[in-house]
Amino acid sequence: MTGDVLVIGYGNTLRTDDGVGRLAAERLADDPRLDGVKVIGRHQLTPELALDVSRAALVVFVDASSRPPAGIFLVEPMERTGRHGAGWSHHLDPPSLLDLSGELYGRVPAAFLVSMGVESVLLGDRLSPMVEASLPGLVDAVVALIADHAARPGIGAFAGHRHA
Amino acid sequence: MGTQIVIDPITRIEGHSKITIHLDGAGEVTDAQFHVTQFRGFERIVQGRPIHEMPSIMARICGICPVSHLVASSKACDEILAVEPPPTGADLRRLMNLAQIVQSNALSFFHLSSPDLLFGFDADPAKRNIIGVAQADPGLARDGVGVRRFGQQIIEWLGGKRIHPAWVVPGGVDAPLAEETRDRILSTVPEAIAAIERALAWYKSSLLRWEDEAASFGDFRSAFMGLVDQAGNVDYYDGSLRVMDADGRLLADRIDPRGYQDYLGEAVEPWSYLKSTYWKVLGYPDGVYRVGPLARVIVAGQMGTPRADLELDEFRRRLGRVPSSSFHYHYARLIDTLHAAERIDELLRGPDILSPRVRSFANVNANEGIGVSEAPRGTLIHHYRVDDDGIVEWANLVIATGHNNLAMNRSVRQVAKRYVKSAQLTEPMLNRVEAVIRCFDPCLSCSTHALGEMALHLQLIGPDGAILDELIR
Repeated sequence: MTGDVLVIGYGNTLRTDDGVGRLAAERLADDPRLDGVKVIGRHQLTPELALDVSRAALVVFVDASSRPPAGIFLVEPMERTGRHGAGWSHHLDPPSLLDLSGELYGRVPAAFLVSMGVESVLLGDRLSPMVEASLPGLVDAVVALIADHAARPGIGAFAGHRHA
Repeated sequence: MGTQIVIDPITRIEGHSKITIHLDGAGEVTDAQFHVTQFRGFERIVQGRPIHEMPSIMARICGICPVSHLVASSKACDEILAVEPPPTGADLRRLMNLAQIVQSNALSFFHLSSPDLLFGFDADPAKRNIIGVAQADPGLARDGVGVRRFGQQIIEWLGGKRIHPAWVVPGGVDAPLAEETRDRILSTVPEAIAAIERALAWYKSSLLRWEDEAASFGDFRSAFMGLVDQAGNVDYYDGSLRVMDADGRLLADRIDPRGYQDYLGEAVEPWSYLKSTYWKVLGYPDGVYRVGPLARVIVAGQMGTPRADLELDEFRRRLGRVPSSSFHYHYARLIDTLHAAERIDELLRGPDILSPRVRSFANVNANEGIGVSEAPRGTLIHHYRVDDDGIVEWANLVIATGHNNLAMNRSVRQVAKRYVKSAQLTEPMLNRVEAVIRCFDPCLSCSTHALGEMALHLQLIGPDGAILDELIR
């Protein structure tokens, strides 16, 4: 469908809904609509991903969040912070990873964060029923975002919108 | 009446801890303690679990060095099954363990310690991080990212994922190495070695700059311990224990590590969840010794690979045969990493590395097993007892950070006595106290566990318990 697109789903699959980004990445990796898209699943964002990020034209981060209500997801454009990552030790947030990509490799791709509201982050290797039911919609939203970006590069069609 | 300074938590280490500094009435440091404030209890958690689950459970101890626990645990299970892995299976375990050494050492040197080394301990803490390094010296940061990626990529290609791969199993490994994977790894080795050598050149060029710090960063006489092979060179996977004193004399050599309880005692203090391991002959707490990269390059005759051996010769010309300062962990860690990368290349070029015979199968044939290997931070011991059905009845883990606990406490005391004055609570002073702990690269996840980091909190508490001064970052 499109090249130079990177999806990074991250989170802890042993903390119930915190793992929704990883589980979304697993589905997206096998999704025929994303032929040619590189999909990475990670426990957390680390500096080593900066090289992959710098090589992409579009990066979509998929994560869990406590901000939206459970089962609701947000799509937001991500930009580098331009700040030092004070207090950082060995994992990053999307803006800091974009910073690192720019500082180390001279390229900062267009980027979005798709974050799903969680119901629980207690110990457990299954999603809550509400988030489980919303997972297909999350996957579809990532696919639509990538398709939209391919059709209209540079436009963040979903930026700031909420999707049930 | 005394006064206490508390640094809680310590940042840019793996896990949570705090440091308490005790002052006398005149404001002089009288003592300092490194507290590990988290508890996990894996030795109890595994009781009642079947032996075949042990490697995977134990790997969960840590997200940074899970491979080390996989290897030591699987070796303990080998003994309980009474099997030896086929030679190729053992070499593939070595390969993954070496990749673990590379990625973890890279994390310690480039991501956690290089900000201090690049900017100095008096620099603005806001830029003492990898983003700051990337802005000030992109080449150094790129090398750090590249070297860690090299090690992590090998683990992922071998085990299917970077964290908690389940490829290392009792009896060997789960699947043979594919020719394509071997060739992919080999193609990445030259750049990794070049990046490590650039970091070594950079570090050596600034070595004199740190002479003053080195003189008080855990600079004391102690023994050193590590595994060596039959030739007396560094061995991360197998071999025997060698212990050397501060004058280069061997306190013990060719020790079968399975007999560790004859030589090593484990003391428990009420102020920390981290056990203090000591050399029994010298008693507690005098039997302090150090493990990890500095110990490995000290106790070994040679590293055993060409480039690392040249670097080790230079290390010894510059610092002597047994350098006493813990600051030199950084230098040793780079040599350690270079050697590991060279060994990866050697192993992959072995004639039998693609052999399909990689695992031995057996049921429970013994009731006790001990597995020992070198983790990035030092010697790691897993010791299990099981019933006739292979159900775990008892487990003991001796972790590298525990070996170093007495040395870390002594190091903190030394730095505190030099830099901490009760009337002057400054950020660079506090960072030096933390930084001496970082030299050891302690993995508190392994010795207990935690994830992430928090802001530093320092409190100066007066004799009556009131907070006299406070710093938060």
